[in-house]
Amino acid sequence: MSIKKLLKDSLILAALMILVVFAVSVIWSGVTEEIGLVIRLFILAFMITLANTLLDEYCSLTMIMSYVVKYFAISALVLLYGFIAGWFFASNFWMAFIYVGVVFILAYPIDSFRVKKDIEYINTQIAGRKTS
Amino acid sequence: MQIITKEVKDKPLTVTIEYPERTEFVDGLIRKIESLDISFSADDNGRQLKLKLAEVYYIENVERKLFVYGAKEVYRLNAGAAELEERFKDSGLVRISRTCIMNTDHLKEIRQLRNSRLEAVLDNDEKLIVSRKYLKDIKRVFKKG
Repeated sequence: MSIKKLLKDSLILAALMILVVFAVSVIWSGVTEEIGLVIRLFILAFMITLANTLLDEYCSLTMIMSYVVKYFAISALVLLYGFIAGWFFASNFWMAFIYVGVVFILAYPIDSFRVKKDIEYINTQIAGRKTS
Repeated sequence: MQIITKEVKDKPLTVTIEYPERTEFVDGLIRKIESLDISFSADDNGRQLKLKLAEVYYIENVERKLFVYGAKEVYRLNAGAAELEERFKDSGLVRISRTCIMNTDHLKEIRQLRNSRLEAVLDNDEKLIVSRKYLKDIKRVFKKG
């Protein structure tokens, strides 16, 4: 059992718990401010995932360029959505770039490491295939 | 693992696998043997022919037409992309980019280039660009065994 799998399962379980708790709350008391926020976050997460998938599918760029393009595309998406949802004011809209930037700074080394590990694994398996 | 072979006249080629317990290794072995029997209908300048999976290096989608590449030769494939993926999902074929499906049985190495692009080198020394998005799918093929 790896830490990665434990964290992944915990996050999935947390998302399910939030959905169930809020679904029950909607039935009892309708869409409150907090429930509205969770629904808006789910919609934003869906839009970001969709944009990420489409960029992966249709843009063949180097890893760094891919991250730069995604950073600006997703920041623009968060910015636009934030204004529509009323999360940002004219004075603090730049916060969207910081939020997205922090996520990307954390994601880039993790992604690089994962790619390196996957390549090592595949090449080891190929080498094993040759010797067996 | 013991390998027993015997000649039986007037019968089709039959492979029998005996195992004490059905494990992932056994499943991988069955998939491998099944994939040896997979063949493609291809078109070679109007001449119809059958290609064994082992002869296929990669398949490329060029303007909605599928082309199958062998060690040196290229043929037009008589199948749609969706049909192809469904039929060969348990074989060594794996998507490596939006337009290319590679046979991992001919994969020699995966390399990361200086610009961080990924490249697959086949055993005929042909090089294919691999999209990072599909790297985990290649890994999955090797995990299946």
